[in-house]
Amino acid sequence: MVLTVIAGLVSSTSLTYLVPLILILAVLKFIGVAFNFMEMKKAHVFWKILLISYLVVFCGIVLLVL
Amino acid sequence: MNKALIDYKNVYYPPGGILLWIIIFLELITFGAALIAMVVYGKQEPEIFHESRLLLNVTFGTINTVFLLTSGFFMAVTVHELKENKKQKAQNYLLLTMLFGMLFLVLKTVEYNAKLNAGLDIGYNSFFTFYWMLTLFHVIHVIVGLVILTSVYFGIKKENSTTKFEDVEASAAFWHMCDLIWLLLFPVIYLIF
Repeated sequence: MVLTVIAGLVSSTSLTYLVPLILILAVLKFIGVAFNFMEMKKAHVFWKILLISYLVVFCGIVLLVL
Repeated sequence: MNKALIDYKNVYYPPGGILLWIIIFLELITFGAALIAMVVYGKQEPEIFHESRLLLNVTFGTINTVFLLTSGFFMAVTVHELKENKKQKAQNYLLLTMLFGMLFLVLKTVEYNAKLNAGLDIGYNSFFTFYWMLTLFHVIHVIVGLVILTSVYFGIKKENSTTKFEDVEASAAFWHMCDLIWLLLFPVIYLIF
């Protein structure tokens, strides 16, 4: 919840690294939901690597484009 | 409730089932591609996307994120209580899960109404085409998720429930998927342009 509020507040500022910061906050929440709520902590390492790889590719492409 | 012991460390048995996780990754790839397309268009029309982004209500988006995260938390607790064979507690937490899901839909409706009253429909500009397409598809997933959870609720409520624990886990995984998609939608649509 805290990460969400921080992201909302930070978005109205004009920090230099605003977009990477917002994406990092989103990634942290994403990992929190996937690994804790969805119990992927208990899953085979293949699924963990796949999730992290997806996030890296997605964020990487977004940052490259921007 | 029939609960067989599942070895989550087995690559073919991730929590929620391999079929659901294939679906989850396909959905993440689809939404991810659409979001990247939005970012590409945003790069081509930066002023339009920035001005349009300012027309969105970040507070509503933040509250909706809190609603979905809270709902996801209660969903995780529901699954945990079912594992502990606490059926009544699980039902109560499942109701809370659905309540927060419905609160998300209510606030989304308020937001959509405001947009339509302001004339910001799907054809207003390219930003709002992406906004409506992406958020509407997400809303459809949330509605489907609520239907599934309702079915699970009545399934586990029955006296001689034949609902399998794996089915509840799969339903929970689908619900969490809606959360995961929103966690990508919110920053890209509401925050970064």
